[in-house]
Amino acid sequence: MRVPPPDTTAPRQYFDIRKLARNIVRRQLWFIAFLAIDLFIVALILNDPILIDTWNFIWPGISITIQITLVSFFFATLIGLVTAFARISKNILIYNISTFYVELFRGLPLLVIILVFNFVLTPALIDIIAQIRLLDDLLQSLMGFNAEVIANTTLRSRDVQETTRIMLAFALAYGAFMSEVFRAGIISINKGQIEAGRSLGMTYSQAMRYIVLPQAIRNVLPAMANNFVLLLKDTSLASVVAVPEISQLTRQYSSNRFRYPQGLLVLSFIYANLTIIMSMGVYWLEARLHADTKED
Amino acid sequence: MTISGPIISIKDATKRFRTVVALNQVSLDIFSGQVVVIIGPSGSGKSTLLRCINRLESVEEGEVWVNGVQINHPSTNINEVRVEVGMVFQHFNLFPHLTVLENVMLAQSIVRRRDKDESREIAYALLQKVGIREKIDVYPAKLSGGQQQRVAIARALAMNPKIMLFDEPTSALDPEMIKEVLDVMLDLAHEGMTMVVVTHEMGFARAAADRVIFMDQGEKIEDTTPVGLFENPESDRLRLFLSKILDH
Repeated sequence: MRVPPPDTTAPRQYFDIRKLARNIVRRQLWFIAFLAIDLFIVALILNDPILIDTWNFIWPGISITIQITLVSFFFATLIGLVTAFARISKNILIYNISTFYVELFRGLPLLVIILVFNFVLTPALIDIIAQIRLLDDLLQSLMGFNAEVIANTTLRSRDVQETTRIMLAFALAYGAFMSEVFRAGIISINKGQIEAGRSLGMTYSQAMRYIVLPQAIRNVLPAMANNFVLLLKDTSLASVVAVPEISQLTRQYSSNRFRYPQGLLVLSFIYANLTIIMSMGVYWLEARLHADTKED
Repeated sequence: MTISGPIISIKDATKRFRTVVALNQVSLDIFSGQVVVIIGPSGSGKSTLLRCINRLESVEEGEVWVNGVQINHPSTNINEVRVEVGMVFQHFNLFPHLTVLENVMLAQSIVRRRDKDESREIAYALLQKVGIREKIDVYPAKLSGGQQQRVAIARALAMNPKIMLFDEPTSALDPEMIKEVLDVMLDLAHEGMTMVVVTHEMGFARAAADRVIFMDQGEKIEDTTPVGLFENPESDRLRLFLSKILDH
């Protein structure tokens, strides 16, 4: 039986509204439900003076939550990249030090890391720095103390805020996770890519920078974004050392006024919206990357 | 600069992979302008020998001299040598995140330090030469195997190498694409490029080679001409090899 040739004269259907609608119902129903519940909660808050009070108490913490997330993620990415290269290094010392760091920080619960950094390591570190005049003065001037203070005092533990300590803990803990993401990305690139670059006369670092890293980072962008969402959620742990982010403010508000349902409703509402926005970003990123590497 | 004597000189090169001897006391001199085809059964060390010429593999014993430099000497800056030695791989190894044009331009700017306009002009000319001019803004994934390999040749030529190495350049290609790649290689040979080619394409050996090296089990068994190869094979191993690849 012969197959008739396709009818090229028929108008091409560019946009099928029914197909789109069916697709939305099948694949985006969860999102529609989410939006509906979201709107419902917004309406609840706006119509209840107690909930408005709760909202007004908690929402200023959003900026600190986001600040901790962004700063920690930035440094975690840097630490992760450096550690990833250290982990694929042939140098025995570099390899073992970096592997020790990764295994240690992946093996400790985040809560424990935060407590240790807040109550033990930062005070100890500052005591050491205070002994070294030059370092002490440098840090003090970086923190914006005036000349007289710099000259006459040494750095004290309380000069370093909890927020800073927490960001250090998050950056190091997530740096360990991120290094594994980057390492996987780098070793997933075919060895022939480096060989091609090197046979053109590039150095190892040039081949890494121009050939391997662009491909590796592209491959791990979704995993990076996923870590970003996880970090955003984990910032709630900062509440245990009284950093005034949204979880801490919620605890404070709820226990003072005994309004746990209201506090937790607002808190969940904020977290869910922040992470859903991020997830949408991840979906978008994945779709875009997929479109780039498609053969047609 | 003119160098009297061979442009590539390999002296008693030996290399092992764990217990397997990949190269066993191989010596080979190649002169400027020669086209040398290396043949042999798989695992015979022919690819290893080729990769020793730009130190993608290093020899354990012996010496490798390229362009007047001993490349297995610790003080040698291998990158300076590699700029003069182009390499084409079996699986093309184009950079998938760059367009065809960018593939040919990248090393020109970061290794040869040419400016954008100059490297673009050179890339245009070379892509024209290998017949890919109309695909310059396409990513490698959209090209056929034969097209990708021709881009890879242009990418290597963009460094103005004195020597071109080909590691089974047509082995990963569909049969109908082999000719377009071999034609580009034949043109290069006729222009006087020094070429070392590992291949199973006996037709190419016949048409372009000055010399044919037959290798088996890490040893150089015969060093002959294409005519000598087919009409007067000296060793039994070469006769056996030829009977296997020609009888079908």
